[in-house]
Amino acid sequence: MRLNLSPICRPQKWTKPLLTVGGTARRSYAFQSGSLNFEVFNRRAKWLQKERAASNPEHSRQADYLKDEVAMRVCERLLDVKRQFPRVLDLGANSCNIARALLHPDPDPESEPPVTEPLATKITELIAAESSHSLLHRDADHPSLSTSHVPGFKLTRHVLEHDELLPFEPDTFDMVLSSMSMHWINDLPGVLSQINSVLKPDCPFIGAMLGGDTLYELRTSLQLAEQERKGGISPHVSPLADVRDVGGLLQRTGFKMLTVDVEDIVVDYPDMFALMQDLQAMGEGNAVLGREMGPIGRDVLLAGDAIYRALHGNEDGSIPATFRIIHMIGWKESPDQAKPLRRGSGQASLKDLLEGQ
Amino acid sequence: MQPQKATVRPIQKFASAVSKCSAESAAYGKCILADYNSVHKDLCAKEFMRLKDCYLLAVKKA
Repeated sequence: MRLNLSPICRPQKWTKPLLTVGGTARRSYAFQSGSLNFEVFNRRAKWLQKERAASNPEHSRQADYLKDEVAMRVCERLLDVKRQFPRVLDLGANSCNIARALLHPDPDPESEPPVTEPLATKITELIAAESSHSLLHRDADHPSLSTSHVPGFKLTRHVLEHDELLPFEPDTFDMVLSSMSMHWINDLPGVLSQINSVLKPDCPFIGAMLGGDTLYELRTSLQLAEQERKGGISPHVSPLADVRDVGGLLQRTGFKMLTVDVEDIVVDYPDMFALMQDLQAMGEGNAVLGREMGPIGRDVLLAGDAIYRALHGNEDGSIPATFRIIHMIGWKESPDQAKPLRRGSGQASLKDLLEGQ
Repeated sequence: MQPQKATVRPIQKFASAVSKCSAESAAYGKCILADYNSVHKDLCAKEFMRLKDCYLLAVKKA
């Protein structure tokens, strides 16, 4: 007997599978592999701004007050590390502000007994890496960078071809410092993992950058001015990393024993134009991609200054500008490093301790 | 580098002219501040024109 099978049940030979792997019928999924290539800042514009700032050394030195102050605060943290650092990298050195702070004769005037030897005595070689040649070499012959009073200290300048690629061998640095330049980095996770890679095991990265609400007064004033004058806004102040983000980033890039803290430095200026001129002299002008090119219009400047005064101005007629500095410390992982205890291994109850008081 | 120092930059001229219009500037600022959550184009056009007129006069005098 012969069964008359319906076409559906009949065994068929698949000549052309509908879904082939590696063929044309493959569905593509939206997935992310590796690091996200995220461009926020125009690197060439930033480089030009730094070169321009350095072309007028006198003005540029006058506007170095903020960078010198932050570099000082970064270097103060070295007082807590009782160690010698043979080879140290300063990433994004600007005009060697960190070297200047390290060479300062009395790094901690408030301590008891007073510390009188410069912090540079802890370091044998400092490699100052910066993409702008003119800014890096601005103070090459300046007395503030004279190393004669610290005989064992050597400052080497290194001009970076690309400020987000570190041309150094892995496991070669005893410490990495960075002050006031990481807020211009597009790929912060990428740079942090490169820092982690160039560090030797159990060596620290100590950095500071602008973040959070930095220059919020200028940001809001220009936004309101543009909104009222032109009916639309364009970015004038960079998007900045928040404290939360920085902690997460350090953790993600493999750093251990993290410390992240913020401090605000508020500087008073006579008017908005003085603030903007100083930012320009610092080389900290706007370099956001997609900003409106060319100078800000006269009307917007006029309106912006009036709004800045009305919204944020001090009583004495000056205007404040907030710089929020995010400080971060992370240590490269090492097997012989202090580690947090295993979860649940605690012997004393924190609840009893706190309630007992 | 020297000639750059000798000349007064346009922004400095601008700033000194603006500084002569503090009353108009305050009036404009007050107008924006009164309603800064819903600023739209030409919300304070009248106050701004007064500020600008004062600024233009100050520039002319300088």
